[in-house]
Amino acid sequence: MPAATLHARTTDANLGRWRTFADAVAAALGVNLWVSLVLLPGFVAGALATPFGQIAALVPLGVLGLGVWRRSELVLLLGFPAALMVPTAFAPEMANVHVYGPIRFAIVALGLVGYLFGASVFTSFREPPPPVGRRLLASASRPVPHRWRRRFRVYASLTALSLIFPLVLLYTINFDDKAREFVLRRYPGRVAALTTTMNLGAVSFWILTYFWFFLGVFRPHRTGDRDLLSELDKIRRQTGRARPRPQFYLGVACALILMVALFLLRGQ
Amino acid sequence: MRRYFFEILALLLMGGSLYFFVECIHYLDQRDYISAIILLFIGLAVISVGRELARLALVQKD
Repeated sequence: MPAATLHARTTDANLGRWRTFADAVAAALGVNLWVSLVLLPGFVAGALATPFGQIAALVPLGVLGLGVWRRSELVLLLGFPAALMVPTAFAPEMANVHVYGPIRFAIVALGLVGYLFGASVFTSFREPPPPVGRRLLASASRPVPHRWRRRFRVYASLTALSLIFPLVLLYTINFDDKAREFVLRRYPGRVAALTTTMNLGAVSFWILTYFWFFLGVFRPHRTGDRDLLSELDKIRRQTGRARPRPQFYLGVACALILMVALFLLRGQ
Repeated sequence: MRRYFFEILALLLMGGSLYFFVECIHYLDQRDYISAIILLFIGLAVISVGRELARLALVQKD
């Protein structure tokens, strides 16, 4: 048998094993999340007593199965987490703060983060085909340069912060004694609605912060991105212009309009 | 000359935006959330105008 054919067969077998492993990991993590977010809260809140509730509870499992079957990152990373909200939408008591104590909240949060990490890594990572030959570069034997180690430290700290920020925000809103007491005292009868609004506000705030500041740090590192390079070139050309950009006029207009609005509002 | 004019104006606008943020905190303290949000956006708009003038001052310098 020719060596090239043997090599191709070994590669296919390795790839098949990796794909099966990735599917199994994604399915296990997804089922764990479904149990934490749907099954247990459903039993505690009594939402699974009706046939409709049971059908709604099975929807996320169907989406997960579809994602694993199609090996679709879109379904696994967006469709399944969104489908987990379907049973909660029909039985909001499943998301009640009393169902989620601080410890359960932490476990569920870790389960969600673990699923997202696992699904994104294992669905995209494949073992590269083993090379026919190998020749080490001279730089491979040298230690990792200081600048690269510093960069890896920055990446690791940004990853840690991207987990800590939303968790702290959500914990403070839902479980901090002072915050709960303040909401109970100031908004009697509207605690659930206000808590939901604050949760949505915290998530929105975090997404905006992440895009502006965290991804903002990463963007200059994407030096091989053609779209980004053309955009940077455009910004460089705009920066050199000795005339105000549209943002200037927009800022002036917004400031004036808002000042007038505030004046009218306070004058009432 | 124009460069110094832009620089002073940028400094004034950026410093002046702090006034809007301080007022925003006062309104928040009075539970007047609508006014506080409006003041927050005024502050951000003023800062963006100051930033643009600072850029023009840098262009003049070059």
